[in-house]
Amino acid sequence: MKLLLALHFAATVANADTIIQGHVELPKAKSTPVMAKRYEIVSKGGVLSTNPPVAVVYLEGSFAKPVTLPVQQIIQKDYIFRPSLLAVQTGSKVEFPNQDDAYHNVFSFSPAKRFDLGRYRPEDKPVPSQIFDKAGIITLRCDIHEHMRGIILVLDTPHFVISGTDGKYKLSGLPSGSYKLKAWIDSRTTLEKAVTLTSGSTTAIDFP
Amino acid sequence: MNSSPSISGFRLRLLLGMMLVVGAVSALALWIAQHKVTLDVQQQLERTFQSEIASLHRARAIRHAALVERSRSLVRKPRIHAALEDNALDLLYPNAEDELRDVMEGNADADHPLRARFYRFLDANGKVIAAPASVDAGKLSPSEEAQLSLTLLPGTQQVGYLIRESSVDEIIAAPIISTETNEVIASIVLGFQPFDSSAQSQGMTAGIWTNDELVMPDATPEARAIVAAAMPKTTPGKHVEITIDGVPQLVFSELLNAGSQFPAAYEVSVYSLADAAARREQLRWQILGAGVLLLLIAGAASHYMAGRLAVPVEQLAVTSARNVVRREEAEAALEITNVELSRSMRFSADTSHQLKTPITVLRAGLEELMQQPELAQTSRDEIGALIYQTAKISSMIHDLLLLSRLDAGRLELEMTPVDLTQLIDSLADDLSAVPTSPDFDVEVDVPCGMHVLGEKRYISMILQNLIENAWKYNVPRGLIAISAHECDGMLMLRVGNSGPGIPTEAQEHIFERFHRASVGENVPGHGLGLNIARELALLHGGDLLLLSSDHEWTEFEVTFRVATVDSP
Repeated sequence: MKLLLALHFAATVANADTIIQGHVELPKAKSTPVMAKRYEIVSKGGVLSTNPPVAVVYLEGSFAKPVTLPVQQIIQKDYIFRPSLLAVQTGSKVEFPNQDDAYHNVFSFSPAKRFDLGRYRPEDKPVPSQIFDKAGIITLRCDIHEHMRGIILVLDTPHFVISGTDGKYKLSGLPSGSYKLKAWIDSRTTLEKAVTLTSGSTTAIDFP
Repeated sequence: MNSSPSISGFRLRLLLGMMLVVGAVSALALWIAQHKVTLDVQQQLERTFQSEIASLHRARAIRHAALVERSRSLVRKPRIHAALEDNALDLLYPNAEDELRDVMEGNADADHPLRARFYRFLDANGKVIAAPASVDAGKLSPSEEAQLSLTLLPGTQQVGYLIRESSVDEIIAAPIISTETNEVIASIVLGFQPFDSSAQSQGMTAGIWTNDELVMPDATPEARAIVAAAMPKTTPGKHVEITIDGVPQLVFSELLNAGSQFPAAYEVSVYSLADAAARREQLRWQILGAGVLLLLIAGAASHYMAGRLAVPVEQLAVTSARNVVRREEAEAALEITNVELSRSMRFSADTSHQLKTPITVLRAGLEELMQQPELAQTSRDEIGALIYQTAKISSMIHDLLLLSRLDAGRLELEMTPVDLTQLIDSLADDLSAVPTSPDFDVEVDVPCGMHVLGEKRYISMILQNLIENAWKYNVPRGLIAISAHECDGMLMLRVGNSGPGIPTEAQEHIFERFHRASVGENVPGHGLGLNIARELALLHGGDLLLLSSDHEWTEFEVTFRVATVDSP
């Protein structure tokens, strides 16, 4: 892993990195977060978003699919999904380990991916997992704990980032060319802007 | 007197009266008792019905709470929420089938009380979401399914009753509230087999009234029609009385789904009063029997009492008859006495008049005889004595005449003011002018101008009598004191003398006729003077009293009414 990171670092240094950075105007947080990096999925008016609000900023275009994609994890711990918002590239595999001393039953009826992992306990092996091969938003629920919600945002791009709670984001290692830059804010709101990237440039784009 | 028929008549009337009173009181008491007992029976019965209905409601409420809890747990199911919220309606019924398996499973055990017969989902507009053929959500005809729809999705549980071919199903619509929006996004309607209320109570027929239709499986069509006709008249808590086949029945109704969007449904309980009517009839006969017995006893008691009461009344009647006879006798005697009295008074008056004439003739003859010059002195003395005697008789007759008029009440006074002072003065002068008078001291202490009310002639007679007495019965060289004073409109005149007094035993008789104190035969008078004086004093509204009399002083007091005279 260290070696990979080092290699990647060497590459960026070599080809003068292409970067988009900026700020996404986010709605006000509903309450002071207890802990950073931990979002709660809240709904208002049938719209799912995180609290505190964050945005998922991604570059849309046709990119070559990588041979291997990293395996991601959404852990059920203390009767919530962690992280509650996960963005993955199409075709990614997500594991759902149970770290509570209770049964969980993760399922989704979302059109992008319907699945039902059935009931399982922490010690049950292998850890249930799903491959998400269709772009879209997936609402995660637990059949046993009706309050649990999670969101997986399946994106047709390797270039995405989750902004900070202050709305600041930075996408790096981008290819040059014309693309659409999108900012997903909640299940109904995705903002987009056309962007043309030249190699080694740093573009500043703010939403809206 | 014909006492015995009227007495027996009285006894009969008394008996009849007592019988009437006793009968009326008994009948009233029995009527009240019967009325009260009937009322009590009815109230008791109604209480029984009410408590049965109440227990029925409790059982229904418990069942209802269980049903509500079942549906509430169903609407929280995450899969149902996910199907509705995550745009996966195709998964709704298949998932619900799993979730509702427990509720529907009772299909095998058809009598399970909490078994659901069917379920359907309503969409956000309240329309039924059709169940796919692959899912068994309970069979419903299209018209039945249409009745499950609601115009407005309710935020709370709604209870309704669905009339089906064979039964009435209790339906509960539970809202499905989005965990994301807190809005009602759908509703689940569950149909349960009806609550079997007929098993709860005997003598009661239960049914459901909804949509102007009565479902009462245990009743005949005719009975159903009668109950249905009575339904609009019922109000919750109040019963209506109807008659089915000649048997009175009470109809109770209770609203089962207050505030529901489903059509109002009433639980109808019909209680037969056949038992109560039979019991009431029995009671009525018992009371009537008791009443007849009571009346017989009362009649016998009245007869006895009337006999007992009649005895003293009979005696009273006999006594009263006797008294009537006595009174009539007494009245007759009184009448006779009265006649005799008036006759005697008339006789006395007549006699006095008849006597006056011969005595006057006698006296005139004697006085003429005295004029004869050749008469010897002895004869002259004899004739003088005779003349004196005729004068005495004449005075006595005069007194008798006056008395008879007093007794007959025929003496009428002409009341005028009389100057008493002047009268006394003249009388005192007369007294001192009497030639045979021994020496007297006469003290007169009478205020000037004293006037009393009366007739002068009679007042003078009274005073003359008193003064003459004071002179006649006095000792030689004695004292006569005349004094007068006024008090309370009356004048008290006292005439005292220093005579030897009236013996104590004679004092109480001095006002009686022909009584004379034993003072000596040489004292003139005939014993009528004081009596006449007193009668006259009484007639004047006054009185004459002997104030005191001892061996040295005797004093009389006469009272008159004072006359007010305008002073000249």
